[in-house]
Amino acid sequence: MSFLLSLLFLKVGMASVTVEVGEKTGLRTWQWNHDGVSLRLVQRLPDQTRAYLQGRSFPAAVADGIATSCFFGSMFRNDGKLPLDFDLTAWKVTQKGNESRLFVREYWKDKLKSLEIPKAARIALNWSLMPTRQHFEPGDYNWGMTVYGLPPGTKFDLHLKLRLGGKPVEDIMPGLQCAPEKLN
Amino acid sequence: MYKAIIAILFALLLTGTARATGKGLTALPDKPIAPAFELKDAEGNLHRLADYKGQVIIVNFWATWCPPCRAEMPSMQRAWEQLREEGIMMLAIDVGEDEDAIFEFTASYPVEFPLLLDTESSVSEAWKVKGLPTTFIVDQWGRKVYRAVGGREWDAPDLMKKVRALKEVP
Repeated sequence: MSFLLSLLFLKVGMASVTVEVGEKTGLRTWQWNHDGVSLRLVQRLPDQTRAYLQGRSFPAAVADGIATSCFFGSMFRNDGKLPLDFDLTAWKVTQKGNESRLFVREYWKDKLKSLEIPKAARIALNWSLMPTRQHFEPGDYNWGMTVYGLPPGTKFDLHLKLRLGGKPVEDIMPGLQCAPEKLN
Repeated sequence: MYKAIIAILFALLLTGTARATGKGLTALPDKPIAPAFELKDAEGNLHRLADYKGQVIIVNFWATWCPPCRAEMPSMQRAWEQLREEGIMMLAIDVGEDEDAIFEFTASYPVEFPLLLDTESSVSEAWKVKGLPTTFIVDQWGRKVYRAVGGREWDAPDLMKKVRALKEVP
């Protein structure tokens, strides 16, 4: 009995990662939970992102280059009791011993600067991405895309960092996988 | 007892699924002055923040493609139906889109409060909005007093009470 209770408390005090596969879509979702904070990452097929971008006036070739950069639909929530701060530029992506960073809003602003893309399209992409830096009071949340800069189908680990009530929290979401080009 | 503990563990695993509403309003202790703006609505009418001086205003930043923004619109409309009679204003500022996107949106989500167009997203940036939706409550002196990041059930009694209470501040 006491062992089971201690397991329960360990669960409350520690992070967990769950994985689901969408019954209809076949897409995978990973969710990290820690003290009422959750980060939910849902695979996005390159075609979903291509359609989104072309619908906002991105030229097809540019949309294709962006869409194959490993997008996830992301939901970050603070349902805990402490304020939360995150900075995506401090997060790391590791894959087969290589380390890289997320492609955040500022990365895309810079990358798209020299291309002939309507301003409205750039604005749409910017706002549809998860904010690079954010402060959540309890009850706050954002949805937005996060981008990992890897080819379709690639497996990787995500090293995340945040501050909860001013205290640092670091963890790893292991075994994430960019959506493949096509689902079987 | 064993079954109960397993059930609790399972419930913990499921916490935080993709819900499109958040909770509460965060008080902004320094009450910064809300940046002035002049924006057109989808019908071409000009709205200045200064036009609503002396009124409590709910200022919502949103976009038609944003799922939590769409999810909170019906509750904003229900809140508006009550609050407009009480002299409280509601403005929803669309970020980065044009009239066509708004017309298409209002066919599925008929709302009666003004939908303003911040096509260059300059107002959103001046208001320090980072993600959509974000909503501010502005008091009758033009100060941002509350903020909500993410969608809310705007007609929930606790939220309405907080907004109405601002009218009572002398």
